[in-house]
Amino acid sequence: MNEGISRMKGLVLALAALAAVSGCQSQPKPEDMARTSLQTAPADLQLLCAHAAAGAAQVDSSKVLPTSSRALDAANYSVDLDAAGRKFTCIVDTAGSVKSVTPAG
Amino acid sequence: MTGTSDDNRLAGKGRPLWTRRRLGIAALAAALTFGPLAAWAQTQIYDARTKKWVNYDKKKARQYFARNNQPPEAFRRQVVPFRTAEKPGTIIIDGNQHFLYLVQPGGQAIRYGIGVGREGFGWAGIVRVGRTAEWPTWTPPAEMVARDPNAAKWAAGMPGGPDNPLGARALYLYEGDQDTIYRIHGTVEPWTIGLDVSSGCIRMNNDDVIDLHSRIEIGAKVIVLMQGAALYKGV
Repeated sequence: MNEGISRMKGLVLALAALAAVSGCQSQPKPEDMARTSLQTAPADLQLLCAHAAAGAAQVDSSKVLPTSSRALDAANYSVDLDAAGRKFTCIVDTAGSVKSVTPAG
Repeated sequence: MTGTSDDNRLAGKGRPLWTRRRLGIAALAAALTFGPLAAWAQTQIYDARTKKWVNYDKKKARQYFARNNQPPEAFRRQVVPFRTAEKPGTIIIDGNQHFLYLVQPGGQAIRYGIGVGREGFGWAGIVRVGRTAEWPTWTPPAEMVARDPNAAKWAAGMPGGPDNPLGARALYLYEGDQDTIYRIHGTVEPWTIGLDVSSGCIRMNNDDVIDLHSRIEIGAKVIVLMQGAALYKGV
């Protein structure tokens, strides 16, 4: 009898924990509760790409501007850049690591 | 000090005709080129009650503000992680996401919610804060004066105050030594934060623009990111 109650308690606790975890996963944090359907890269990631492209293009970073971006998958973004008139494409991950910077087209 | 409104930008006040034409052609071309893209972009907020993302438009924004007397939490002032090589004091505007970041030391930024240019009026570039004003004067453009009796009485300039469209502070954005005629300013329509509503100016709640104004220095770098922008400045 006691063993049955213990098992039931364990099951309830496990379900409660699962519900809490799934709740955390499905609901964004309050500061993340806005988005755009464009799904552009976060601003800091776009600028990390701009900084990397400035090095690749050998131009001052004040002449490099991200012009568009998009999510490639859950962990990576592609960012298009204009570096003093030259076009580059950059791949950056959500951790902020620039994977590649290549001339566009 | 004289402020300039969004509508002054539309009127191209003080600009040579060829410049106005060039700007008009550029805006039209961008609107035609990026129109479908911009129209597709839609701000959404998460409804914790229904656990669904819902479109955030003017109607929704007014309803939300009427209920809460403040914009959704994502558009309220807060400190967020921000990985950047830009130095503290730099302003970064993400026009698509409706956020303005003020870079802080230690990989952080203060994030504010903003309202930005509506379709065809967005712009991008790298500019700087040329000057600022507290409770700036607003001067309606001639076209508005001609059609709107309420604006006509302010033809010579509306003094700064709580009813002034420029709000509590204005940061005048310059490209080199030239005024871009774009500003970061306060607003009398706080529910418009998070929306594409202006003619190119960046609008903030008055409390936020006062806070930003108190933290920045003249000459601060301002990077404006806007996918589908009509114009590019300073690059």
